[in-house]
Amino acid sequence: MRIEQQPAYVLHARAYRETSLLLECLTREHGRLGVVARGVRGERSRLRRAQLEPFQPLVLDLLLRGELATLTAVEVVDTPARLSGDAGLAGLYLNELVVRLTGRQDPHPLLFDAYARTLARLAAGESLAWSLRRFERDLLEAIGYGLQLQHDADTGEAIEPAACYRYVAEQGAMRCAAGSPRALRGSDLLALEQDEMPDSVGLKELRDMMREVIRFHLGGGELRAWRVLAMAVSRRP
Amino acid sequence: MSSGSPLLADLIEALRCLPGVGGKSAQRMAFHLLERERERGLKLAAVMEQAMRRIGHCERCRNFSEEPLCSLCASSSRDRQVLCVVESPTDLAAIEQATGYRGQYFVLMGRLSPLDGLGPEELGLAQLAQRLGEGEIEELIIATNPTVEGEATAHYLAQLARAGGVRPTRLAHGVPLGGELEYVDRSTLAHAFGGRQLLD
Ligand SMILES: [Zn+2]
Repeated sequence: MRIEQQPAYVLHARAYRETSLLLECLTREHGRLGVVARGVRGERSRLRRAQLEPFQPLVLDLLLRGELATLTAVEVVDTPARLSGDAGLAGLYLNELVVRLTGRQDPHPLLFDAYARTLARLAAGESLAWSLRRFERDLLEAIGYGLQLQHDADTGEAIEPAACYRYVAEQGAMRCAAGSPRALRGSDLLALEQDEMPDSVGLKELRDMMREVIRFHLGGGELRAWRVLAMAVSRRP
Repeated sequence: MSSGSPLLADLIEALRCLPGVGGKSAQRMAFHLLERERERGLKLAAVMEQAMRRIGHCERCRNFSEEPLCSLCASSSRDRQVLCVVESPTDLAAIEQATGYRGQYFVLMGRLSPLDGLGPEELGLAQLAQRLGEGEIEELIIATNPTVEGEATAHYLAQLARAGGVRPTRLAHGVPLGGELEYVDRSTLAHAFGGRQLLD
């Protein structure tokens, strides 16, 4: 199948066969694709290789056969998001999250849009933690594991801002006593639902909650980028 | 590739572990060694055996070494106040050959790349942090590659350096020597433009 003029980002590249690269790409209409870029390693192809770095908005022409696609043309369509400093570490986290939580050839156009939006936020220097929480929320929604942030999963009642909850993956938020492990405030769940940035306590609680949910969907594993991000986070409120 | 000799087939298969060597090249290499270079083939096998068994990593800089300390780290003529961090032994060799650098090195054997399974531990960054905390080093020259992962690693290393009270510096990058602006790709040009310096 020919895929033409497909908006995409490269998430990861590794050496493949003698002179090629195997790219993991997030495309808008075809989801994550394994893409072989032939003859792009070595001295002379430095320029083409640079175009295949992550975080650049690309338009790709591809030939999809079976499991892998072959790259036939690539164009950088816009100025790449300059993710410098901590934003660069956050970018590596985004890419690991997308690769680990999505399957190849599962189309998720909403995920693509959320990814592009998050890169723009990170490049603009918006709050790192909040940008990541919003992305995680949108990613889960896009791949069919959306969070339940409006109602108590036990009683069906609306989440109360002042009450304490514990969020269980695939079930939802349940009332718990204040101070119990991994408890978070109703107001923080609602902040995530309403897309309004909570205070720093809320951001930390949401981070812990998201890690638990993500761990569940990974089947219990860890993301390596969490350890990379620890460096960025330890210096921030 | 049926040759009638199982040993020959094994040799060809074994040679394919070399980078850039596919079935055809491996076969050519095997025939070449058998037809013309028996002596040197034996030498190669002996050295290969020794090297694979005895070469490990230097305790101090992580570069390949068969001694606990490599010759660069053991040398008394290298400046101990400057430490240069590179991704690979190849990068170290390139800097040694192209510059008059007289300081010491730390070799990451990779760069931060969560999807390749490379995090701070795999790159020996705890070891580096400890070295930075010893108080001898004044400048950390960060010579990771100007790729997304290399830049993220550079940022991480700069934080480590600051935490250890060491001044981090980064290799300058931009338009290649002899290059013309119109042929330089956009990201390189943007990088060079952003990193412009005052002329005095
Ligand atoms: Zn050494």
